Amino acid sequence: MSDTTLVSRVGAPVVVPQAPPGREPDVTAPQVPSPRDDKPPVIDTPASAVAPMHVVGRPLAHHDFIDKVKGSITYAADWELPGMLYARIVRATVPSGRIVSVDTDKARSIRGVAAIVTAEDVPSNQLVERASGGLGELLVAMPVLAHDRVRFAGEPIVLIAAETQQIADDAAELVQIEYEELPGVFDPEAALLADAPLVHDEGNVLVSWHIQRGDAQAALEGADVVIEGEYRTQHVEHAYLEPEAGVGWIENDVITLRVSTQIIEHATEIAEILALPANKVRVIAAYMGGGFGGKEDMTVEPYLALLVWKSRRPVRMIWNRQESVLASTKRHPFVMRYKTGATKDGHIVAQDVDIIGDAGAYPFLSARIMFAGAALSCGPYFTPNVAVRSRAVFTNNVPTSAFRGFGAMQVTLGYESQMDRLAETLGMDKVEVRRRNFLHKGDLIPTGETLDTAVAVEETLRRALARLGDKSVPSGPLKRVGRGFGCNMQPYGRTIWFRDRSSAWLSLQADGTLLIRSGVTDFGAGQAASLCQIAAEILGVPLERISVYIGDTALTPPAGGTFATRQLYMSGNAVMKAALSLRERIVPVAADALGCAVADVEFEDGRVIPATSPGEGAGNPEGISLGELVRLCEARSVDPTVLFVFHAEANHRGFDPATGQGGSFPDYTYGTHAAEVEVDLETGEVQVLKYAACHDVGRAINPLRVEGQIQGGAMQGLGYALMEEIVLDEGRIASSLFANYLIPTSDDMPDVMVDIVESGEGKGPMNARGIGEPPIGNSAPTIANAIADAIGCRPTRLPITPERVLDLIEAANSKAALGSTGRPDPAWR
Amino acid sequence: MTPQQVTLRVNGVLRDVLVAPSDTLLDVLHDRLGLKDVRYGCGEGVCGTCTVLLDGDPVSSCLMYAVQVEEREIVTLLGLLGEDEALHPLQEAFLRLGGSQCGFCTPGVILTAYSLAERTPRPSRDQIRYELGGSLCRCTGYTKIFDAIESYLEDRACIEEQALN
Amino acid sequence: MTVTFGPTVDELAPRPPAPENGRRRDAAFEYVRVGSYDEAVEALEHYGARAKVLAGGQSLVPMMNLRLVRPGVLIDINGIDAGQPYFELDRLVLPAMTRYCEVLASPTVSAGSPLLAAAVSRVGNVRVRNRGTLGGSLAQGEATAELGAVMLALGSEIIVYGPRGYRTIAAEDFFLGYLTTSLQPEEVITGLCLPLARPRRGWSFHEMSRRSGSSAIVGVAANVELAPDGGEISSARLGLIGVADRPVVGSFEAVSSLEGEVPTLAQLDAVAFAVAAATCPVDDVQASGSYRRRMVRVLARRALNEAVLRAGGRVGTA
Repeated sequence: MSDTTLVSRVGAPVVVPQAPPGREPDVTAPQVPSPRDDKPPVIDTPASAVAPMHVVGRPLAHHDFIDKVKGSITYAADWELPGMLYARIVRATVPSGRIVSVDTDKARSIRGVAAIVTAEDVPSNQLVERASGGLGELLVAMPVLAHDRVRFAGEPIVLIAAETQQIADDAAELVQIEYEELPGVFDPEAALLADAPLVHDEGNVLVSWHIQRGDAQAALEGADVVIEGEYRTQHVEHAYLEPEAGVGWIENDVITLRVSTQIIEHATEIAEILALPANKVRVIAAYMGGGFGGKEDMTVEPYLALLVWKSRRPVRMIWNRQESVLASTKRHPFVMRYKTGATKDGHIVAQDVDIIGDAGAYPFLSARIMFAGAALSCGPYFTPNVAVRSRAVFTNNVPTSAFRGFGAMQVTLGYESQMDRLAETLGMDKVEVRRRNFLHKGDLIPTGETLDTAVAVEETLRRALARLGDKSVPSGPLKRVGRGFGCNMQPYGRTIWFRDRSSAWLSLQADGTLLIRSGVTDFGAGQAASLCQIAAEILGVPLERISVYIGDTALTPPAGGTFATRQLYMSGNAVMKAALSLRERIVPVAADALGCAVADVEFEDGRVIPATSPGEGAGNPEGISLGELVRLCEARSVDPTVLFVFHAEANHRGFDPATGQGGSFPDYTYGTHAAEVEVDLETGEVQVLKYAACHDVGRAINPLRVEGQIQGGAMQGLGYALMEEIVLDEGRIASSLFANYLIPTSDDMPDVMVDIVESGEGKGPMNARGIGEPPIGNSAPTIANAIADAIGCRPTRLPITPERVLDLIEAANSKAALGSTGRPDPAWR
Repeated sequence: MTPQQVTLRVNGVLRDVLVAPSDTLLDVLHDRLGLKDVRYGCGEGVCGTCTVLLDGDPVSSCLMYAVQVEEREIVTLLGLLGEDEALHPLQEAFLRLGGSQCGFCTPGVILTAYSLAERTPRPSRDQIRYELGGSLCRCTGYTKIFDAIESYLEDRACIEEQALN
Repeated sequence: MTVTFGPTVDELAPRPPAPENGRRRDAAFEYVRVGSYDEAVEALEHYGARAKVLAGGQSLVPMMNLRLVRPGVLIDINGIDAGQPYFELDRLVLPAMTRYCEVLASPTVSAGSPLLAAAVSRVGNVRVRNRGTLGGSLAQGEATAELGAVMLALGSEIIVYGPRGYRTIAAEDFFLGYLTTSLQPEEVITGLCLPLARPRRGWSFHEMSRRSGSSAIVGVAANVELAPDGGEISSARLGLIGVADRPVVGSFEAVSSLEGEVPTLAQLDAVAFAVAAATCPVDDVQASGSYRRRMVRVLARRALNEAVLRAGGRVGTA
């Protein structure tokens, strides 16, 4: 069995270490404020013990998972309607150019082609990114279908719907598009140069974020040691097993789409594209076969909607895998330049960080991602002086957007490599240097906010390291074993300034069964099932007597999309509050029927029972069923349904984009991964021998799912660290074959050993913290640090392929052979 | 191209269907015969999503044509269910131990594991790893998939032992 | 793994082919099922260049799904019952229709050619191994096919049947270029002949890939024979994959310098270095040519070392 420990059950206190006594003010730069000294150290204790839970905290699986193991679940492409057409997108084959002509005559002439759509046919040919805006980003247009200008290879130009997929594919081949190729720019640093080709006439820099706190320059000048480092990450692909897909049709004049999507709220954008009023578009979210942020922007929606609207018939669109690899949005590659200043006993005095992200051809969510990267660039460490610049830069590469971790993930390689190098330079233990700098509850972070929940990162570090056990012996004379770890901090919940909210509608039925309706979408992390668990805990309805309906703009109250690890926090809270509110409303009726006080009514196992026996003849000591209670409520006109809107904590402080100071994210999840690797000195191959992951999740509502998220996230992170890369050559992807996009298989990595810390302080329901995104962030620095430990030189570029490792080893050997140093310099880049 | 009639034996039931030679087994099962548990993942035979059992052995249905498999026995995940849609113990183990998250890889994974378990009495965890090397999963990190399969094998071994006694 | 069918970098420059324009359904084709090699050849003659043979389909059908290849006619030979592997004199004979999984399950093969079994265990995944055939792999002629390295290292023969009857092609004459073999358009592979394992004969297979089951970056198959009563090498051969547009023999000049030698590790490394230097691998999305060349040296040395030890010989540490 896998090795998992629940470190603490709810109710048992976890002692989170105190801030070390007397953290010294920064004496080397006296004019620099050290806000930490204004507050006394805060001793963290978890929330006081709550009564043990019946449903929450148990590894029960139910609901959609039953259909998944049966095979009976219906994903977006599994839906079929009579007379359905099959779709295909014709995409640009040049990365930068002008469209000279589009000839669809031959395509139209094939029998069985029902509809062809080009840019001229689109009523309002632009995609509007609602999630960004108002914070200084460049405003550039993105067409739904390219009309005169093509900005990336893969940009959609023509849509086809036909009686069979084969006919649609035949017709796609007959579309003739003539291009005039224009100079393109394929590297974001090149795009910053004065004479760079412009991707958009408005300019190549989408946004430039700044976070300034104190005086980093002065602090660096006065620091005992400054570590400089440059780190580069790559384009990666979500590679969900379910490609982008959906089916659309018209019902009562409403364009209805049933699609694999994280956000049904795009319905309003679709309506705008079709120049229809918003009530004429309905989006239903099927359960997704994976999302990871790749289905956060619209994927098939606008194209499917256009074909349905044009043909007036049902249409199915499934992107083929190679199309998805080629043209769907990717993770932003980052170039990160760090200058970390510290005292000789390892206290960080300043961080100067410059991040450049390749936004690709169009903005999508780049602005927000670069902000998250900037805000988290210093990691879980107290940093009194901060200067961070983070830019999203256009290129003619495939557009980049949301991907699990969202900017805050890429920077872990930066700050954790810097910490290890700081330790090496000072001759300090790598754990100790972190201990001296870890954030604590009550500390200020670079955006000037105070952390108001427990910071248990040190406990996660202790646990992860303990898991590795005894060090393995190398399996041969030319192999080396090394160990490394990486701590991270990842926000959960949307940035505060978005005034996030989520609603849930709970209805108790006449027989005591419960319906939950929520606009939430589910990509396999139990988003929907968790809501059942929360409601079951509060209302005592057995899980099999709860049905949850999700993701339908027509029928479920809006919950916002599933991203930013926000659903447990937002919709979980919405359901929890709705359930509490419902309970509060019906409990007086119950108390009456049971002949006891309101406070003594318990909801358990489909019944309401009195906690203590009432007086003789006063009522019903056995309790009554929920069904009976509902009937009593109806008789008294007490409504057994509640619609609750949960609002995320409001930002009273505002946010200043110029300095990056103000309310950013509501809270963070902290964790540490640790690994042992063996490096083959002759081939550069890296084998991961052991891997441990520990996160503080506040409270584990469903421990099985929490472990699953951590194991899955760590595995995605290992792929990112060691093998995944979308290789672009002058804007063209070198291979769009799934055979060549290497994600880890069952045979590549060891089992991820998981530990869960429950500090009891989180802003989700029952004090939970989000766990969707955090576990993907630690892997890259963990592996890089472990390899550095094994071979004495440090990878600074992802993915860490065997070839790159071998190049590092050989360069170090030749340097050593030249006699410049006795051994490879550990701080060598 | 004139379609031809073929008879496929799917999950124990004979199904007649008109197909073109170029119709893949995947498309015929999913689009024509309503077997939604056999799905498209990559079209290259790499990901394992479209796996079906052909005479008991896992194959990529995206790499076979329907005309090739007349008179052969095809089993999909739905074919493992018992009477009244009772879960096969292997499916139960996946449910109990979290072997399925988004579920898209699940049919291919369970069928491949089932085939291994039918051929080999007690495969080791390493043997399971190797056998599942072509079933890609992006959500679970594989550990709970192995846990579920091992749990099933353990339970089965217990039952067999009891039967012998 | 023999499913790499992706274009090489040469083919990619200046423009990649465009599977990205989203062609998923194969173009239409006719389907012919044959029950014997005679019928297969007849069909090939009849349909000419429009036809392609369908065996396991694990390399061909992905290309068809992506419309990189569009035969007008598919000739399905899966119905041909070609029998089991067997020993004949000093050779192991395998029907071309032998599936990889049958190779792995066959005691005849594990006794007769452990090198073949070792290489096949590295092929693809369980589904590829259930359908893919030895003949199909050879006919495809992929540069990274494990079988290619084995055939070349062993000095094997390929039996082919066509309108003019049977002929035998030596493995070293079989692989001509990128996905090109000396198989004529109307011919079909019917069998493979490998020299049998025997005492004083050692083998080794080493492959390096970026991920389990993905195509080899570099692979080396080694076959070494020792003198009957001394420790000297009487013959040695290497088959290489991943270093050219087809499987190739490791530099004959370099490897034959081991003949008559009781080798030291340094000698093996020198030979491996020379074998690597004689290759000219190109860059592609998985690895650079320079890295491949370095891997040839490492893997060739390891393979030679292991083969000598398996043959019952010694490798000096000097």
